[in-house]
Amino acid sequence: MKLNEDLLREICEYMGSDLNSAPCKIIREHMEACHNCEVYVDKIKKTVEIYRFADQQEKIPDKISKKLFACLNLDDLTKTCDQ
Amino acid sequence: MENNLPEEQLVIRAKQGDRTALSQLVIDYSSRIYHLGLRLSGNRQDAEDILQETFMIMVKKIGQFQGKSSFYTWLYRIAVNVGLRKLKSKPRRYDHISINDPDFERISAETAHEWPQLDFEIINDSRFRQKLDRLIEQLPEKYRTVFILRDLHELSTEDTSRILQITPSNTKIRLMRARNFLKEHLENMLKAEVLT
Repeated sequence: MKLNEDLLREICEYMGSDLNSAPCKIIREHMEACHNCEVYVDKIKKTVEIYRFADQQEKIPDKISKKLFACLNLDDLTKTCDQ
Repeated sequence: MENNLPEEQLVIRAKQGDRTALSQLVIDYSSRIYHLGLRLSGNRQDAEDILQETFMIMVKKIGQFQGKSSFYTWLYRIAVNVGLRKLKSKPRRYDHISINDPDFERISAETAHEWPQLDFEIINDSRFRQKLDRLIEQLPEKYRTVFILRDLHELSTEDTSRILQITPSNTKIRLMRARNFLKEHLENMLKAEVLT
């Protein structure tokens, strides 16, 4: 299996190690042969992507923004700032 | 006011009482703080309360901001504290499930099946999104906050550690457990979606 550098970086990130550290070298050797590890990290990435996508769909409602500026006594300035 | 002033300048002006600069900071961060509140609390009313209280504190205390950390770290810390305080004042909607480290023995022993390409229509379905919301709410706060800050708001390990006042290694461990928990349960949800 071709070593996926991004994947290795991701795993090392969990461990707080840099890519040339001893633990990362061991991981590198292992991942050259291990499909399961690659699949595992891919699923973690997709989990994060799913939540990020869901969050992007949820916009702050206009009326909540307006209420916020009114409550901070800044509502007279929002038009200037938006321009 | 000049457009696109660097944040540092906006903060200096806001500290001096410049309302336009203050207003720009609110514009720049209100969406992020709303999303943070929404994910922390799991409902829109509490998210709105967290948003308002966070910025009221910001307006009141910006004069005391000394610039020892970045402005956004300071603001996020206020928001997280407001959010966690709000959570504590309410009964939990879900029982928390125990959170474990990944079962590496099982991962290496079983045959790994890849997930299909993500179908964003399924994810955008309101029923599926409700399930996503419920799932993240089941994470104990100490894991949920790390997942929100690191993965959803894309803050660094160092900034997340500063905001939550925990060590970077603690941040990493909590993130690993949160991700693993969500992945395990999402896997079952995705299987159910494909089968139904």
